[in-house]
Amino acid sequence: MSHTDSLGNFRPKDAPDYEDVLQCMRCGFCLPTCPTYALTGRERSSPRGRVALARAVAEKKLEFTGAVKEEAFFCLDCRACTTACPSGVKAGEVMEVCRSQSHDFYPLGAIGKTFREFILQRMLVSPDLLEHAMLPTRLYQRLGLQWLVRHLGVLKLGPGWMAKAEGMLPSLEKPLRSQLPEVIPAQGEKRGRVGFFLGCVMTLLYPQVSRQTVRVLAHQGYEVVTPRATKCCGAPHLSEGDRQTARELALFNLELFLAQDVDWIVTDCAGCGAALKEYEEILAEDADHHRLALFRAKVRDISEFLAAEGLRTEGLREVRRAVTYHEPCHLCHAQGISSQPRQLLKSVPGLELREMAESSWCCGSAATWGLKYSEESRQVLDRKLQNVAATQAEILVTANPGCHLQLAWGVRQADMPQEVRHLMEILGEAIPD
Amino acid sequence: MISQTAIKHLQEKLGEKNVLHEKEDLLVLGYDSTPGVHHLPEVVVYPTSTEQVLAAMEIAAREGLPLVPRGSGTGLSGGSVPVRGGMVLTLTRMNRILEIDEENLTATVEPGVITLDLFNAVAAKGLFYPPDPGSQKISTIGGNVAENAGGLRGLKYGVTRDYVMGLKGILPDRSLITTGGKSVKDVAGYGFKDLLVGSEGTLGIITEVTVKLVPPPRDKRTFLAYFNDVRTAGEAVSRIIAARIIPSTMEIMDRETINCVEDYVKIGLPRQMAALLLIEVDGHPAPVAEEAAEVRRVLEQVKAAEIHVAETAEQAASLAAARRTALSALARVSPTTLLEDATVPRSRLAETFGEIERLAAKFKLKVGTFGHAGDGNLHPTVLCDERNHDEMARAHAFYNELYEKVLDWGGTVSGEHGIGLAKKEYLARQIGAGGVRVMKRIKQSFDPEGLLNPGKIFEDHDPEAEQHLEEGFRVSH
Repeated sequence: MSHTDSLGNFRPKDAPDYEDVLQCMRCGFCLPTCPTYALTGRERSSPRGRVALARAVAEKKLEFTGAVKEEAFFCLDCRACTTACPSGVKAGEVMEVCRSQSHDFYPLGAIGKTFREFILQRMLVSPDLLEHAMLPTRLYQRLGLQWLVRHLGVLKLGPGWMAKAEGMLPSLEKPLRSQLPEVIPAQGEKRGRVGFFLGCVMTLLYPQVSRQTVRVLAHQGYEVVTPRATKCCGAPHLSEGDRQTARELALFNLELFLAQDVDWIVTDCAGCGAALKEYEEILAEDADHHRLALFRAKVRDISEFLAAEGLRTEGLREVRRAVTYHEPCHLCHAQGISSQPRQLLKSVPGLELREMAESSWCCGSAATWGLKYSEESRQVLDRKLQNVAATQAEILVTANPGCHLQLAWGVRQADMPQEVRHLMEILGEAIPD
Repeated sequence: MISQTAIKHLQEKLGEKNVLHEKEDLLVLGYDSTPGVHHLPEVVVYPTSTEQVLAAMEIAAREGLPLVPRGSGTGLSGGSVPVRGGMVLTLTRMNRILEIDEENLTATVEPGVITLDLFNAVAAKGLFYPPDPGSQKISTIGGNVAENAGGLRGLKYGVTRDYVMGLKGILPDRSLITTGGKSVKDVAGYGFKDLLVGSEGTLGIITEVTVKLVPPPRDKRTFLAYFNDVRTAGEAVSRIIAARIIPSTMEIMDRETINCVEDYVKIGLPRQMAALLLIEVDGHPAPVAEEAAEVRRVLEQVKAAEIHVAETAEQAASLAAARRTALSALARVSPTTLLEDATVPRSRLAETFGEIERLAAKFKLKVGTFGHAGDGNLHPTVLCDERNHDEMARAHAFYNELYEKVLDWGGTVSGEHGIGLAKKEYLARQIGAGGVRVMKRIKQSFDPEGLLNPGKIFEDHDPEAEQHLEEGFRVSH
């Protein structure tokens, strides 16, 4: 989109597009979909309100005040409002951009800056460093520490955040990346060559998920290529407002995967999938548009991919379990993928899918949001857990590591019987050894 | 300027979190869904009880602050925009369903209850609350009552007014008022209740609403018909009514809207068609079957180009999808969406479409029209860009001429959005100087101090007080 001269009180670099903001007709259809509006009932914590604040800054009716920054970070970026918006306004993306702006307006102190840069620009861009750091220190504690330091000046910590970060961590295995063969052959009649995009959190925290993903892909007749050089997708950087590093990562991954000669690029992480699909927007000014389009045309979420290609179901084992499905925001709202995971679940013999109410309502994880706003996160999660409990399902299925962490923690805290599983773990169970 | 003492008093009475006065909060509570009108209040309060409403009113009166009640701000006529600043009183935190009375078939709720929540709560008890404004997922019952909101089922089931049995509220002199109630018949004195419904927050603040519920229809049939020209679609509407059938829904979309919907959702709508009608009949199974057969016969008789009938609920939903997507499809086309509310006797439907087309060409505007054909309530929607002042001026000229015609034909300037700020001038033309005088006297007798929602419906334009309205345009000027 064209940049207009209406940047107003925004800094010119990475300002929200005024066109995007002007598109809001203030109808309010986004309000009932917004978790933070549900929490506070306060207009400025709603998508319509946040867009109005951005518009006021763009029109010089408001400085980029502390409240604007606060709202940008208080937004869960769940994108439910984008799904609901008649005019197609992307309030979540506008807030991502405002997060980036806020670093210009409110620079961190020296220590905070060092930590932020260390996490975002050293650790998350280097898979090796990330994996080494992970073993002794653990990622989430790092992110929690980063948060602590950044907010030291205005320390209003809920005392629970550290315990929550600690309590969320599953027992860690060795990261998957070094264990996965770079090429796994297809089984049976070959249907194509898939590039597998292995996410950071998946390899570090849920290696068994991606292990099943590549197993399912191979079983379904795909040769699976997992480039070991793959770097972080850039989602954490966008979420924290570091657009420059996000762009560098995007460019790296784009070139890496285009060089693999694969038919598709598939991921089992909803957050990574959403980020990969947004490379077009992130890189709009930096990259070759033809290559961007080529890359975008190949990117698929694993459930989107398998549903479209058609699951080979012959020989699948029965999985006699009752499951319910929580839709990750970055799958249903950011990528518009809602029916496909259900379709796959329904094709597993013996599996019973019990729909929960509000299956696409956010779980309250939202990257580091769940740690920064631990009390609010708990309230969002409670609403989700009530809906889960009502189904009396044995397994709670999801498709994103952030949701996985939060839901597994919530289920344990609430002493509920459900196991939390990634969709691919369920499919993996149906595939004979 | 509101004094610090007043803010302190408000905080004492309502609690700190229910009193907002930071600039960011004021900025986002100075609008509703009406394009181009925006004005900052000085303070925003969220009462949680009738006592708190009263306390806020007392402080507003003492401080000489205009007081503007508000729900979710989905209004389309600027009714809740605080054009003279003052206090915005948001009722969304008074949101309890107090009672669903299955013997009397009534529900009693606080004003901040979301319309769809009420619908779902009574549906769970096998009952039906028919008013269904397009914004029902977020609009409040209080807002529906204050604006007398309509909806897609208006033709057969009527509008909000037809379901309000009783109201409690506070008048500008701070007296509590109860009007109407659970008695089906009530002719005791003047009909204050009906005066408050649709009063747009100018006569009193509603704090409790008792609505009528009805048994839900047991069966429903859905048709989608396409027409080669709008005149035939209009004729179909007239003939169905003339056949003594009142469908629950009879919705129309014109060619421009059909094409915008197809551009947006790509569901295979025939782009060459001039109009589409979505028709639903509901009720008991036997008469529904009979009426459906009759609707079909009429559609064939007028030679509709295509007729689709839903066999299942899923099919009905997919037939209705095109109409439901209309606003989204239009809203995506341009930065500014001017959604208007012209309403004519339904025999004039085809002519109105002709007039809209003629005026759109004359003023070189992109206009998509959809609406409630069965009750003549159309939403001609100008797709424009508020930064283009010339285009905005043409849009105003377009509506001016259109409303002129609508009034000539015995129509009304608002079928369901209200007058608010946007259509004051047109109202004067519709009801004449005498009508305006009487309305002003009524307002005067309820609100001699001019406390409640000043500057709305019939009050003269006040350039000095309203000079801070957002630059660009106001629909009626």
